[in-house]
Amino acid sequence: MHAVKKTWGNYLEDVKIVEKKEIPSGCTMLFGFPDVGLVGVIAASHLISELNGLEEVAYVDSKLLPPLIVLHEGLPHSPIRIFGNHNILLAVSETAIPADVIYPIMYALIDWGKNKKVKMMISLSGIPIQERQDIEELKVFAAASNADVLKTVQEQGIEILKEGYMVGPQAIMLQRCASIGVPAITLLAQCFFNYPDPEAAAEVLKGLTKIIGLKVDVSKLLEKGEEIRLKARDVMRRTQQELSKMKKTQEYDMPLYIT
Amino acid sequence: MTERRRRSIFDLIDEYFENLEESVKRLRETLMEKPSWDRKACTIEPLRDISVTPTEVIVTVDLPYTEENTIRVKPLSKDVIEISAKMRRKISFDDFGITHYKGEFQTFHCQTRIPVPVYMDKMEVRFKRGILEIHLPRKHEYEIPIE
Repeated sequence: MHAVKKTWGNYLEDVKIVEKKEIPSGCTMLFGFPDVGLVGVIAASHLISELNGLEEVAYVDSKLLPPLIVLHEGLPHSPIRIFGNHNILLAVSETAIPADVIYPIMYALIDWGKNKKVKMMISLSGIPIQERQDIEELKVFAAASNADVLKTVQEQGIEILKEGYMVGPQAIMLQRCASIGVPAITLLAQCFFNYPDPEAAAEVLKGLTKIIGLKVDVSKLLEKGEEIRLKARDVMRRTQQELSKMKKTQEYDMPLYIT
Repeated sequence: MTERRRRSIFDLIDEYFENLEESVKRLRETLMEKPSWDRKACTIEPLRDISVTPTEVIVTVDLPYTEENTIRVKPLSKDVIEISAKMRRKISFDDFGITHYKGEFQTFHCQTRIPVPVYMDKMEVRFKRGILEIHLPRKHEYEIPIE
């Protein structure tokens, strides 16, 4: 068991990452957490079903989370798990993370990833766009933890999110990684704010492919789009409530430039 | 003597939107704490959203698997609409991997309260990419004079 050292308030004493298997070093760590359009969760779920050998290697054990387990085949699982193979670690949450515990949960995961010597962290998420249903081609934007990583992303033809606000787990990841010196990228596909968006998940995975060269076929994800939207309704409803608490609509705001 | 603070139009607008946001939040939280399905009626509740612009109220509803010609939007009163739509196929709990409940669903159904006065008879509806959009022009019943 790896207890994360206290680096954020007193909460981290209560967030533990329990390892079930040996964790290889030098992996790329991905995050797929509930957010707008459930882009990250849908993308992560698709990666788990498509990539060979991606299995549960660790999970989050924390009393800060609601008293909830996820049952699979009658057995209990943490709602926040880490799947991995020889070169990918994928942290995914099957339930909305309460807004007030996002900081400690993210700090714990990032510190754990650094301890496992991950070479990069990438958060998969969405950026809400109004009149999304009228948009045929969705753009993917990126922000990075430092200028070198940002340049690499730009060279892959991904547009940079130059100015604005970012709210949620991906914001915490970027800020924390920047401060502890772990290269990190947040990939954001244009998406619905309040509705599950499998098309946006497919776009964010295409962006991921450009950055780390991972081969992922997104055709099944697009074929199953309606089924995913139906299945994801309840997680989306719970996520909407947390998005409201964390003032997610601030991402629409015009930033005040202080130079 | 009581001193009344004169509030600007911007304060009034801010207050109005804060109240509106709070009402929508309360409504959402009330809606949250019940199942999103009704086994007896064989219906499931779709995700929906409401936005208020200066000229209209836009209600959107996520309706995957829906046959467009089965969508019905009915005003129930001056501030409530009822939405129903039939899916192309029946969905059962088994489809979600759930075996401890039994039941099949083929209809989306919900009622939505409209937060500001609107002209129900001028409602416009469109359906694109599985999203139903209901446009209701706003009824401006009073205006605050600008001094």
